[in-house]
Parts: sequence; structure tokens; C-alpha cells
Amino acid sequence: MSTRQVGEKVQRVEDPRLLTGNGRYLDDLGQGALQAAFVRSPHAHARITDIDVTDALDVDGVEGIYTYEDLDGRTGETLPVLIPHPSLTHPRTGHCLARDVVKHVGEAVVMVVARDRYLAEDACARIRVSYEPLPVVVGVEQARSGGHRVHDDVPDNVAAHLVQEVGDVEAALAAAPNTLTLELDIERSASMPLEGKGVYARWDTDDGSLRLYSSTQTSTGVRAAVAAKLGMPLAKVEVVTPDVGGGFGVKIVHPWPEEVLVPWAARRLGRDVKWTEDRREHFVSSSHERGQLQQVTVGFDDDGRLLGLDVRFWHDNGAYTPYGVIVPIITATQLLGPYKPGAYRVEWWSLYTNTVLVTPYRGAGRPQGCYAMERTMDAIAAHLGLDRAEVRSRNFIQPEEMPYDQGLMFQDGRPLRYDSGDFPASLAKLKALVGWDDFAAYRALAEREGRRVGIGIGCYVEGTGVGPYEGGVVQVETSGRVNVATGLTTQGQSHQTAFAQIVADELGVPMADVHVTTGDTRRMAYAVGTFASRGAVMSGNAVALAARVVRAKALRIAADALEVSPDDLDIADGVIAVKGAPGTSIDLKTVAVLSNPLRYAFDTSAQAATQFAGTFDPEKPPVADDDEPGLEGQDFYSPTQATFANGMHAAVVETDPVTAEIRILRYCVVHDCGTMVNPMVVEGQVHGGVAQGVGGALYERMVYDESGQLLNASFMDFLMPYATEVPHIETDHLETPSPLNPLGIKGAGEAGTIPVTAVIASALEDAEGFPIRSMPISPSELWELRLAHASDTAAPQEGSP
Amino acid sequence: MSEPVTEQLIEITLRVNGVPRTAAAPARRLLSDFLRHDLGLTGTHVGCEHGVCGACTVLLDGDPVRSCLLFAVTARGHEITTIEGIGDDPAALSPVQQAFVECHGLQCGFCTPGFVTTITAYLDEHPDPTPEQAREAVSGNLCRCTGYQNIVRSVLRAAEIRRERAGGDDR
Amino acid sequence: MKITGTSTLDAPVEQVWEAILDPAVLAVCIPGCSSLTTVGDDRYAMTVTAGVAAIKGTYDGEVALGDLQAPSGLTLRARGAGSPGTIDADVKVRLTPNGGGTEVTYDANASVGGAIGGVGQRMLSGVTRKMAGEFFTALDAHIATGGAAPSVAAGVPSAAVAVPAAAGTPAVGTTFTGRAAAAPAAPTSTRDLVLAAVAGGLLALAGVALGARIGRRR
Repeated sequence: MSTRQVGEKVQRVEDPRLLTGNGRYLDDLGQGALQAAFVRSPHAHARITDIDVTDALDVDGVEGIYTYEDLDGRTGETLPVLIPHPSLTHPRTGHCLARDVVKHVGEAVVMVVARDRYLAEDACARIRVSYEPLPVVVGVEQARSGGHRVHDDVPDNVAAHLVQEVGDVEAALAAAPNTLTLELDIERSASMPLEGKGVYARWDTDDGSLRLYSSTQTSTGVRAAVAAKLGMPLAKVEVVTPDVGGGFGVKIVHPWPEEVLVPWAARRLGRDVKWTEDRREHFVSSSHERGQLQQVTVGFDDDGRLLGLDVRFWHDNGAYTPYGVIVPIITATQLLGPYKPGAYRVEWWSLYTNTVLVTPYRGAGRPQGCYAMERTMDAIAAHLGLDRAEVRSRNFIQPEEMPYDQGLMFQDGRPLRYDSGDFPASLAKLKALVGWDDFAAYRALAEREGRRVGIGIGCYVEGTGVGPYEGGVVQVETSGRVNVATGLTTQGQSHQTAFAQIVADELGVPMADVHVTTGDTRRMAYAVGTFASRGAVMSGNAVALAARVVRAKALRIAADALEVSPDDLDIADGVIAVKGAPGTSIDLKTVAVLSNPLRYAFDTSAQAATQFAGTFDPEKPPVADDDEPGLEGQDFYSPTQATFANGMHAAVVETDPVTAEIRILRYCVVHDCGTMVNPMVVEGQVHGGVAQGVGGALYERMVYDESGQLLNASFMDFLMPYATEVPHIETDHLETPSPLNPLGIKGAGEAGTIPVTAVIASALEDAEGFPIRSMPISPSELWELRLAHASDTAAPQEGSP
Repeated sequence: MSEPVTEQLIEITLRVNGVPRTAAAPARRLLSDFLRHDLGLTGTHVGCEHGVCGACTVLLDGDPVRSCLLFAVTARGHEITTIEGIGDDPAALSPVQQAFVECHGLQCGFCTPGFVTTITAYLDEHPDPTPEQAREAVSGNLCRCTGYQNIVRSVLRAAEIRRERAGGDDR
Repeated sequence: MKITGTSTLDAPVEQVWEAILDPAVLAVCIPGCSSLTTVGDDRYAMTVTAGVAAIKGTYDGEVALGDLQAPSGLTLRARGAGSPGTIDADVKVRLTPNGGGTEVTYDANASVGGAIGGVGQRMLSGVTRKMAGEFFTALDAHIATGGAAPSVAAGVPSAAVAVPAAAGTPAVGTTFTGRAAAAPAAPTSTRDLVLAAVAGGLLALAGVALGARIGRRR
């Protein structure tokens, strides 16, 4: 009997390779290729008046120097708007190389291709671009004041504006016994994978085809976009995603200008061309996220129940909108969390600024929405003198109310309808884990020692597994090897292990026989990509369904061969046997042989499939009308809507009474992502998300000056947490399986990140006794807030635990 | 008119992973690039090129250094150990490598070689760290995927495996 | 592709005019030219070894001088083909007095094909302007020394060629040897090529220049 793999902490099959220096990341490939480098704008907003390349010509080894004028055909068009939306009335995208005007520091102006990167950068350094600076817009406040325009034809810098409403908020607020208004803000951070972007193009002059490698989150997306921009048929373009050193959202945007320009140059020069960005390039020419200003007005009764919620927020989307307005849409919808808001109205503006693009970063707008809601919950509790967990609990959607329709449209164009979840149970687990009810005693003890501590809480709901679909192909070779391919990509999510676990279980084969390929358009050309916590839900189910097709076919062929009914058979360890009669059996690999009638036996095992072997009925065609040769199956999973995971976090923080230094003493996570394929992998995802959340709460921000210069464009000044900044993370799980897919899986990729900023703010408020509305917060900022609130009493909030 | 630029190449010989390796490169070639591109040892990764992330960490005469902050010429006459030198056979992992597998200490794997070299050198000096010491030991390397929990556990597990192996067969 | 530029020469307009119209002078001043043969009235076939960075090659081409308006302007029509690709250009040249010297402005309309076209417009126009600059500098130097060689940068290999002076009007089929005729086997850049030629052959070719001046005049 095979051991069941799904649900087990199976060690990763990709690890031995990656641990011994045998990873193949983008820059490891193409050692003989020409290399590209870029001259990028040093100005946030300027007109290009001249480009003088004369001095660069003396650099030995330069093969080409390109500007906008060289971009022929569709390559010279603006980059696509990937996700149009009715609210996005003024979408704007850039060109691959700037055309006349640059709109943010870092925008690419000239591409140099040379024998190696050092020489390419030498040439770039010698290229003189002349600019005429134009007025710069930085930050939400400046953008919405409308004084200067980022784009001449976009009034007030508004790319998009949307109002969504359920119920009558004005009436609800007017009738509410209590109302509060909060002004909140969150600053920018960014995905910051350890490996930046990279593109490697192999142009085959013999047959005019392109094989493109890109450190991307979507092979099929890049393929379609690049084929379109290069005017090539899809059949002549293949995209392979190599090992990727992290994505976290920034690599889902496509095509990056370089993803078009590098293959374009390769075709033009008839040579392989490669480009990998350096860290500064990543800071100024990829994308950021998180920056919003928010205003919440809430009406509630004396028990803390929400009656009406009126939210307005202003979202900074940077200079261009290639990814549309997914982030503010997600903020607006996921803000509701596990609660019933009463009447709800949300209005947002997405604004242009002369800064780097804003596209999804792990959480993709959910952290901002959670922040708004959770700060509001804490404010309600403080106002009424109630326990913060209790107030939340009173507003929960109850398990028996599932499925619960919030009455809004979600980011997949489908209803925001929670399918499952038990919020009271999650909260109970969290309170037990962190010792919520015992905290008052702990605090009293700490105070006696002169220490200042606080506890915070945050809840969220996460719509995961958005469509439109993913697919799987499962194929059994005559050796018994099982090949699995799915089109989405991998950036550390353990797909090679998790999907192998699923197929091993479905097909009844040892895991060691199962080999998974992701992100290769040659193996699976229909796919969407890895983002929005959808990998396990979408491809996990797709490969399971494909494996079931193969299993059914295998049983049918085996049943024929053994002269039994398929219902009498089971597969375990790669052997198909009659249930209860293990002596009557046939190997799966033999079935693979029989599935493909042969004229020529390529080895002794294949002889059984040839015409004189007596294995085929001479009255029937070797391949039936409704059948295909081979033991292979393909299927797709396409959901009617997202499936909703949820989680709750709590943190205990300590602040130094004198220096205002902040330490996280404990961090607790309870989350529900339905069935877990590999609990070890899920936990790892949560840990990583929490670490990024801690970074965003206490350390990470993008500092722009008034001329649009990014002042901290390096790891020296953009502070990401090391091991000493991330606390020990305690986790507990709830598993309410998703009713929406065969395996019951919900996504978990972003879970760790979503509530962290809100939770830390909540804990700091509890420790300090005054509102914390602006995040991230540094010790010196906390110290300033203390001074500002010096007139308030230093006692903890009334009624807090 | 400006002068043409042609770089002088220098023959650089280093001992890498116990073996003398030679390649011709300009004086300004970083050690990280020399290892990766001139010697083809792509296990060492480059994350920032300004010495903060630690992904490029290799051992220079047994001590961890940022190979992105060294010129290849500077390393002449020294012994360099890269991740491939710690173990390049997926079927025969070193104690630290084995610990990472058992503890799920890596996800995307990009920062991992830097951690493995750092931890290998650390355990040679401090074979029996406490959890706090283990956390301190890896606090100079960035990881964006794991949140460090399992990396710290990997340090402790690696110490155990070293003891187990020393107690049993050699190595 | 449009390429424009100017060069300032010390020589006076009339001398510049004469020099441009003189095939022997063209042969020694065009960068990378190894030979130039008269094929008709103001029409020459030439072989030029030049190129953009790593895309270097030898071109066979034709250049025809037209729209002659002494001494202020003419049009050059050039066509060439070689392994790196093809070139087709119309260049309007204007000579204007500037103090005691000449300001030469050129305005070219060019189209390129093949690999050489792959390097990008600015690189191509940049190299073209450089070569034009080298041509006019060489022209100026040539005139200044009365056709004898100016002093040469040290360390550049020599390329000595001697060709008997032609007497009278060069007939169709007369070949003038360019400085690049005996260039070193593998130049590392176009610029090296030109320098090599300049350094080497001038003394030896002084005789040719003298002979050319005795030859055809306008």
C-alpha cells in the first residue's frame, strides 16, 4: 500500500540540487551571450533633448546602441495595459525605451549590447543624454492637489476612480449612536526578491524562432506579449522560466521593457543576448507597492457592532499603470475582512506620481485594506472601553452564514462571496495560543519591572485561487517515470514537491517516480501564472484532475489485460492489482507500453505493444475512435469564484520607555487555508510572509525627495529584516476545506503578510496608550509621537486586556 | 576624439575548492563574477553587489567574505571555498546541506549558498551553539522567503548532524 | 536615416574643393580605403575596409560626385556592399569660407541593410560622423603638408606603399591606392585601421599626391 503523501511534511525534492550549487537561475544561463545594459533617466520628469553616443563608440566590444527611434513595428508601441477595468479611465503605459519624455527616475532611455556587462556599462557611462527637467509630482498629497500633471492629458493625475456601495451608508451613519473618523497612512515598500529580473534570449537564425528565458511569474504571459510586440507567430516563440530567486509579485508584471528589448536585440543581431538587473536598477525600474492615504468613517452601536462604514482612500500608482488598478480594487474589497459591515461604501482614487510603477507585492492591497479595518476595530474598542477581541467577535460572519455574499465584485470579476471559514474558531485558537486573556497579568508584571508591553490583534480574509484556469498534463512513460507539467511558474513555493505529492497519491505511484515541470511553454502552453496565492489551488487541482484521467485510462487498459472490471482494481506503488487479490496484477509501466500500439519495439519491454504480440484485439482498431495513444491525460481547473482563506495574528511588543526602541516579543499566527498539501511548506510560506510584514511594519519604506529622487535605493538604506529582526513565529492551523475545488485547498502564499502592519500598530497602541495611525513606524517616530501625546495620560487604554 | 578603451587581461590563478583554477580577466573583475563567469561556478549568487545581502558569501582561507566586495586579483594566492566545495553532489550532502533539507531551510534557494558557507564556517569554530547564538550567527545574511525560522533550526540541526557523523562513520 | 555634421578646416575653400574632387586625394583620405578606381566622369569604384565596432568588413562600392557648384557645394552619391551589409547614401556637401579656412557641412540621407543595420541608428550615425570627421581631418592635413606626411603617433605599425605618379588626367581605369592598402592583418577597430594607414603610407605616397596635383584639375 502506498503511503499517502498529501498532508505530510515531505522533504523537498528540489533541495539537494539547489543546496549543491546546481540551481539554474537566469544569470547562470547563457554564458556566451552578449550582454545588455541600460542608460536610465536620472530625472523624475524631463524631456529628452539629445542623446550623444559618440564616446561610447570607443569602447571595445560594443555591438549595438539603441534608442526609441530604432524600435520598429510594434516594438515601438506603448506597453500593454494588462488588466483593463471600467474605472481605469486614464490608463497610461510607457514605451520600451523612452520616447521624448521620461516620467520617473530609472526609466530606460538607451540600451547598449556588448561583449560583456562590464563593457556594456562602460559604454552606458559614456553616453550623454541631455534633458530639460519638467515639474515633478511626488506623493499622494501633491498628486491629488492637481497642481502639476504627470501626464499632460490626465487631469488631477487621476488614473482611476471608483465608488462601490452596499446599502445606504449615509443613513446608517446618521442613525448610528457612535461615529468615529480615522485618518490613516501606509508607506511604500516593495517585493525585493533576492534575485532581480533577468532575460536571456536565444534567437535561432536557422528557423527564425525565439527561445526566451525570463525570471518571471508567468511564462505564457511573457510569451504572448513578446510574440505580439515582435510581430512573431506564437508558434515561433517559447518561454522557459528557469529557477527563480523569489518573485513576491514584482515578476508578474509583463512584459517588462527588457523582456521585449532583449529578444528584439537578439533577433536583430542574430546572437544570444542576456540581461540581468543589478540591485539599484531593481529599486528604480521595477515596481513598488503599499502607499496609500486612507480616511475611514464608521458608525457603530454601543456594543461595538458596525452599522455603517464609509471608506475613502488615495492610492499612489506611480508613473504608469501597466497592471491596471488591481491593488486598490483588492484593498476596497478585502478591507471587509471577516466582518459584516452593515452598510458599506468605499471610494478610491488611483493617482499618478513621477515615481516607480506600483504593481502587486505579496498581499496586493490586502494589507492596506486590513490595516484600515483593523485600526477601525481597535478605535471602536477604545471608544467604548471594550475588549478588542470581543468587538471583533461581535461583528464576525458566523460559520452557519456561509456562503456569505458581501455584495461587491472581487478582483476576478466575480462576486465577493466567502465560501467557507470559521472565524469564531480561529479567534478562539489565537486567543489560546497567545494567552490573550492572561495578558493583563503579564502586563502588570512587566510594569513592575519598569517595562512597557502591549498586545495587538488583526484578522483578515483572503480571496485566493482566482482563475481563469490552470492546467495539468500527466504522462506515464514506459519506464514507469511519470511526467507532470503545469504552466504556472515557481519562485520557491515547492511546486516540484507538492504537485508530485498530489500526483503520487492520485495515481498510486512512488513520489520518486514523479517529475514536475513548471513554467515551460513547450510542456504546457495554457496557463496563467503564479500570483494571488493561487498555485496550489489552481495547479494542485489541475494536476490532480489530469492524474485522474490517466488513472481511469490505466485502470481500463489494465482491466482489459487482466480480464476484470476496472472497479476491482487499485494502484499502489506503481502496480495495478485486484483488490484483495494482489497476485493478479500488472505494472503501471507495462500498461504504459500497452497504451501505445507500436510497429517497432524500441526495447524489450516495448515488444509487448507490437503487432504480433497478441495483446490487441484484431477486430478493433489499435487506437479506438474516442481514444488516443499513450498513457497520458490533460485537464484544467477553472473555478466559478475565488476561495476564501482567513487568518488571525497576535503580537506582543515591548517598547523601551526611554529610547522608544521596539521589540516583538511574540508573534502568533492562526490561519485557515483548507487542506494543506504539505504542512511544512505552508508553514514556511507563513513564516516568510510574516517576515515581510515585520519589515513593512517597522523597517521598510521608499524615501523619495521632492524632485522624485529615490534616496534609499540600496540595501544599505532600504532596511529589510535580518534573522535578528524577525521574532520566533508560533503557528496554529484550522482546516475548513474549500467546498469549491476537488482537493479542498485554499491559497496560503500571502497569508503571513496581510495583517502584520495592523497587528503591530495595534500592539504599539496598546503599549503606549495613544493612537498609531501612520505605518511603518521607527523608534524615533514613536518617540516623537510620545512627545506629541505627552499631555495624554500614560495609562493603558480603558478596558483593554 | 576620445581614446579607445581596450582592457588589459591578467592571468589570475586561485585555489578554488582545493583545486588550482586559472582564467584571464581584467583587474576590475569582482571575485563573484570571476567565480561565476570565468570559472563557471554559478552556485555563488549575486543579490546586491554592495555587500549587504550575503548571497555571494564564499570562504577565503576558511573565513566568510563577500565575494562581491573583492576583486579576483585580490584573492590570488588564497584558498576559496564555494558552495560547490562544501558539497556538489546532491546524493552526498554535507551536514549543513543535509540540515537545510530536513528543516525546510530554503524556498527559492537564491540566498542559500551564502547561508551554507557562512554556517559551515561558523560551526567549525562554534560546534555547539544555543538557539540565540545560532540566530546571531546568521544575522548578516538576508533571506526574503523563509522568515529565518527554519534557517535557525537548520543551524542547530547541522550541529547535531556533525556530532552524529563524527560519532559514527568518518566525515 | 539622416546624418548631419560639420567640420572646420584650416585650408581655404578653393583648396578644399580641389582636394575633394581629386581621386588620388580621396583615396588617401577616405578612412579604410584601400583602392579607388576611376570608372567615369567624377565616378569612382572603391574598396573600403571599415565597420561599426565588431561588425567590420570590406565593402566594394561606387561613389559619384554630382550637382557640382564650384567651389561651394556638391552631392556625393555612394553605394556599397560587403559582408556586414549594404549602404546607400546621398550626401550634400557645402563649403563655406570661415576666416581663412573652410566650414564643411554635410547632410546625408542614408539607408543601410544587413547586419550593419542591426547596431542601432545612433551608433551607426555616430560612427559615420566619426569617419567623416577623420576624412576631413585627413583632407586638411593633406592640404596643409602639400601632400607630404604630417608627423605620426609613435608605435603604430607602418604600411608602406609606393605607386608611380600618374601624369596628366587620370583616365578611366586608373587606380589610386589608399592608405589602408597595406593595413595590418587584424585591426582591432576602425580607428586603429585609419591610424595605421595614416602613420605608414604618407611619406611613400607623397609622390602620388604630387603626381595627382599635376594631373587633373577643375
